[in-house]
Amino acid sequence: MTVAGSYTPVFCWRGFVYLVWGNRSGRVGISHNPGLDRTFWLQRGCRQFSLLTPPLPLGTAAFLCDWLQRRLPLKGEPPLQQAAALVNRGRLKLGLPPWEAPPNTLPEPGPAPVAAELALVQKNLAGRILWREEIALALAEHKGAVNTPLEDLLQWLYLAGEVTLLPGVGYEPNGEPRCRRCGQASRLLKVTCAACGSGDCLVCEGCLAMGQARRCRPLYARPWPAQPAARGRPDLDTRPRLNFALTPAQVDAYREAESFVFQGKEKECLLWAACGAGKTEVTCGAIAAALSRGRNVLYACPRREVIRELEVRLTSVWPQLRILSLYGGSPGKFGTADLILATTHQALRFYRRFDLVILDEVDAFPLSEDPMLYYAVARARREDGQTLFLTATPPAGLVARVRRRQVKVIYLPARHHGHPLPVPEILRDPFLSRPGAKRLPRSLVNCLDLTLAEEVQLIIFVPAVKLVEEVVAWLLQERPGPDPNRPWVQGCYAAHPRRDEIIASFRREEFPVLVTTTVMERGITIPRLNVLVLYADEERIFTANTLIQIAGRAGRSPAYPSGRVWFLASRISPAMAVARRQIQEFNALARRRGYLLAGEK
Amino acid sequence: MLLSWLFPRGKACSWCGRPVHQGFFCTSCRQQLLDWQQHYHPCLYCGRLLPLGKQAVCNQCREELPPFQKARSVGPYQGLLKEMIWALKYQGRRSLATPLGHLLAGVVVRELGSGRPDLVIPVPLTSTRLRVRTFNQAELLALALGQELDLPVNGEVMFRVRETAPQVNLSRRSRWQNLGGAFKVTAPGKITGRHLLLVDDVLTTGATASACTRALQAAGAADVAVVTLATGIENLPCFSP
Repeated sequence: MTVAGSYTPVFCWRGFVYLVWGNRSGRVGISHNPGLDRTFWLQRGCRQFSLLTPPLPLGTAAFLCDWLQRRLPLKGEPPLQQAAALVNRGRLKLGLPPWEAPPNTLPEPGPAPVAAELALVQKNLAGRILWREEIALALAEHKGAVNTPLEDLLQWLYLAGEVTLLPGVGYEPNGEPRCRRCGQASRLLKVTCAACGSGDCLVCEGCLAMGQARRCRPLYARPWPAQPAARGRPDLDTRPRLNFALTPAQVDAYREAESFVFQGKEKECLLWAACGAGKTEVTCGAIAAALSRGRNVLYACPRREVIRELEVRLTSVWPQLRILSLYGGSPGKFGTADLILATTHQALRFYRRFDLVILDEVDAFPLSEDPMLYYAVARARREDGQTLFLTATPPAGLVARVRRRQVKVIYLPARHHGHPLPVPEILRDPFLSRPGAKRLPRSLVNCLDLTLAEEVQLIIFVPAVKLVEEVVAWLLQERPGPDPNRPWVQGCYAAHPRRDEIIASFRREEFPVLVTTTVMERGITIPRLNVLVLYADEERIFTANTLIQIAGRAGRSPAYPSGRVWFLASRISPAMAVARRQIQEFNALARRRGYLLAGEK
Repeated sequence: MLLSWLFPRGKACSWCGRPVHQGFFCTSCRQQLLDWQQHYHPCLYCGRLLPLGKQAVCNQCREELPPFQKARSVGPYQGLLKEMIWALKYQGRRSLATPLGHLLAGVVVRELGSGRPDLVIPVPLTSTRLRVRTFNQAELLALALGQELDLPVNGEVMFRVRETAPQVNLSRRSRWQNLGGAFKVTAPGKITGRHLLLVDDVLTTGATASACTRALQAAGAADVAVVTLATGIENLPCFSP
């Protein structure tokens, strides 16, 4: 069996740690090609060049270079003996076996790389952090070709301070290993690596999905070049063309987001919006403000589907802009554009590029559970850049920072139709049984009857996949329906073989009741819908944020803004109470600000 | 430190991360891995899976017996097992090697009889492919298996002379030609008269395992058994009674 791309050669960096000395001072360096480094330093007047180690994997060499740089006196005469002793101490610090002595012969200096080729590489790497193979792909994508080996060009740029050279897995100053690509230190494996030939190479399993980060694999990074203070793109029309009217709540939030970017006082801001309040439209204000000042903008989101959908929406708002979407399987990973949309995984390839990062669905899987993705998004932002978080249900850490006034907050508490958010009704049934154990609970029957009488649809959320089929069977057993071939209630979950088909059929209103798991908590809008959460006290699944998102499915459409939400459980869990209270607080805020229609309570 | 001592986190499933009480995989993953046993049984010789209640020997082995003594696998190359092999082999998720090696050890103990192998040999990769992938998945599995059963493992007894074309779409005769002379034994002294266990990730046509076995037998091995993570399912034609 072969896999496309499995034979792509992976560049393995093994090189020397060396000491180079000029008239009065020196420095420590690392190189896979010491001849090239000698050329560089000879051009700068350094004459003495000594190799301190045999070829080592990049992670080890980089650690030793840093170790020596901190400890070695780099003024006066070259401290060669002291350097050799320090190298040995550094090796012991990493717990590595002894290695052979460095070669005696010095490498011959070679020709310096061509300036045009260096400029081409610099241009393609700007604002990114990439493997050597990815840089080659980026060059190919932009139809750029170089004759000098790419690693030599990159080494020259590294020596010139234009590019940062990092090991895929490197060491902290205290000798602790850490993945330099995803930033985590817990999922590193010590392995035998045939590329570098060492028996104790380190591989990161945290970011494997984006390619192997190894101790012997080099990462090259270059920040986006700084631009003059008075930036702007006079040739670029950055006005958003909204083909709909913003509601008063959206207008206020839009202006606040705009001023957050214009003023640039705060680094982080949370746009805390009610479910279905139209937060994406509000971000257009922030994006337009940033683009009009010539700033780079990234719109990141953990889900690929959202990025695809967003591309269509933002293209209609800015038909004059080049918009690039990056997600797993998207064509062209290294293009340039006025506005970049990317999944949070793709943000791993950016380095100090964006002045404004908009991070959507901060509490959604996998972003909520993966610190690596936060790290990636934070690194994609310039050091003086800004982040705008968007969500209806911010994680507790972010809320705490808002309360401590470390993060600015913009509220968007009302939906576009001006009706309040449906407040969940808590139905407590102390004798609520497992599906099929007893007859259907009276409260559940009432909810069903009410929904069917109003001729709207109902989604019943359950806390486990296996409950989906059981609840469907329970409902059908009690109420078989007129036609057994066309059941009135169906179920689906993430891995259901007919998931898309069932959801599409439900959207077409071909049956009134759908039983599902939390897979449907986001990203679904059914115009006339009630929602029931069965066993809502199952706190491991139904957290307060999940319940708020679920409740947010109801009442989204002007056709049926008063959709109802029921939480049915044998007890009232803290999450149920928090969810209800938060929805009530949002409605109260919307009412105070006058965003609700007259007469709405 | 104190908190972790007071409230130990417990073990997590090597695949899905759910809590496990013992072993490497949670009940759900384990169930998915072993679910095939309700529908299939292995061919007596090559271990390819056949529907339960049908013939005991697959059509291929009826035509011609393989050179190895016996081959057995953890399960069919589909579902969760396929995903795991994919993650190990192509995504480089090496932490899966130990739990999968543990499964292989179970197969060796249960299925390959009472005879204890003298040496475990992983199916080798060419040096080019090894440098590209940076590891040999069969060697990782063999090492984990050897550690579990306390068996010696040697990945340097045999090497792959050349890369072979994919076996897919080749006739049976072409497969043999394709693999002919692909493997060479470097140290015949270490295998002469010994009972060997060959380890690989997937056994599809069986041609690779056969080629390795022939090379090992030519170098003097007493017998060769094969254990793999996955194997194929033989779809037998349906006969009406």
